[in-house]
Amino acid sequence: MWIQFSLGTDLHTVFQSYGNMPLVSISDEPDTLYRRLSVLVKGHDKAVLDSYEYFAVLAAEELGLSIEKVYEPPRKIERMTLLKSVHVYKKHRVQYEMRTYYRCLELKHLTGSTANVYLEYIQRNLPEGVAMEVKKTKIEKLPEHIQKPIWGTLPQVEETVNES
Amino acid sequence: MLPRLRGAWTPALLQCAANSTAVSKSRSESRGTRWRRREVPRHNRLLGIPRTKKMPVDQDWSNVYPVAASFKPSVVPLPIRMGYPMKKRAPPSKEGNLELIKIPNFLHLTPGAVKKHCAALKNFCTEWPTALDSDEKREQHFPVEIDTVDYVSAGPSIRNPKARVVTLRVKLSKLNLDDHAKKKLIKLVGERYSKDTDILTITTDRCPLRRQNYDYGIYLLTVLYHESWKTEKWESEKTDADMEEYIWENTCSQKNVLDTLLRIKAAEKISDVPREELLASEIVENYKNSVVLLKNEGETEDNMSKYKESVKKLLNLQGFQ
Repeated sequence: MWIQFSLGTDLHTVFQSYGNMPLVSISDEPDTLYRRLSVLVKGHDKAVLDSYEYFAVLAAEELGLSIEKVYEPPRKIERMTLLKSVHVYKKHRVQYEMRTYYRCLELKHLTGSTANVYLEYIQRNLPEGVAMEVKKTKIEKLPEHIQKPIWGTLPQVEETVNES
Repeated sequence: MLPRLRGAWTPALLQCAANSTAVSKSRSESRGTRWRRREVPRHNRLLGIPRTKKMPVDQDWSNVYPVAASFKPSVVPLPIRMGYPMKKRAPPSKEGNLELIKIPNFLHLTPGAVKKHCAALKNFCTEWPTALDSDEKREQHFPVEIDTVDYVSAGPSIRNPKARVVTLRVKLSKLNLDDHAKKKLIKLVGERYSKDTDILTITTDRCPLRRQNYDYGIYLLTVLYHESWKTEKWESEKTDADMEEYIWENTCSQKNVLDTLLRIKAAEKISDVPREELLASEIVENYKNSVVLLKNEGETEDNMSKYKESVKKLLNLQGFQ
């Protein structure tokens, strides 16, 4: 069952239902299943990523999600050496570097609704200057048209010889 | 108009001032409204008490920072210092500290606030089905795996062209394939099949939208499946070089073995033993297994020694080493 979720602006207060309308709506579509959800965050500041990891892990535990592992891929430093002056002076250069730190959080066995809720909460609270990549592994049934081969059951049609 | 008083303003005085009516106009007022006196005097000490001094100890912090906001030194009651210190000085304090304002803070995401948020969000979550607790059950009922990647970043555009790539993975043992169909599918697919884990991987990114790429991936899987069940006329021209693995029946190795055994039997003057019985005998089975192992897996110590043993048994050379 797929649950529709929409975050209001006043998340910090307790949810109030307006009138008699319930906030949770249930539809008949079957929920998607995710075998693994891999959240990779990238940023320039390691302390910010530390805090964000603490927040994401706490949120996952509070919502009852199973965390597979949390690890820190090695950082990448992009360095460039440029000319210091606008015109001539080739011997005098200036060097810059851009450091990208990573943090990866892997969750396993989520349903579609839970994944949407968690990801929206995480992404709304993403700090400035931090990017995120979410890799979802969805598991599905085999499509119906692949269950059985059809060539044996088709009525006999005269085969036309393909001359090419 | 508040009368101008020198000295400290007390609440009582303010009250009197508010209630009183100014009888005489001040000089600036008489000049018109061009220079309006400040409604509040510039150095009003009553307004200067920071919120940190008025905070009770048992307050709810999520009322102070309900949403993401920049660092306000008069609101955060912590004696934080940040920045590079000058010579023989401590790092700069929090008042007027740009470094503290620049860095993103998590003051709105304290553990208490996060727990409150999650308690409210719990209603929208669904449980993982308890029937799918083991890997085998999941693979049996849901054999197809679909990988998609979402990208979140700030920039001129929220779109990322890498987001349209879709990867489909399925184990061939879960598909309804017979021997010929499996071999044909593996030949059709080429590098996308990995023999160690029996997984076929199809990566599609030729369409502009993710939904279209997913549909195309499913279409490719369907086409491969149905094409591999078909037998074309030219497939009967398959040569030995096209074979994926070595099959011992109808090879010259089999003929040689049979010839040799018949000649041995003729030399020992035993009556003609039928070929099927010779084929089914254990010696020939041993020899066949060792030859198939050698051809399929290559030459290893084990395979060579097995071949040696089987040849010795075949030719009755047990005495030799």
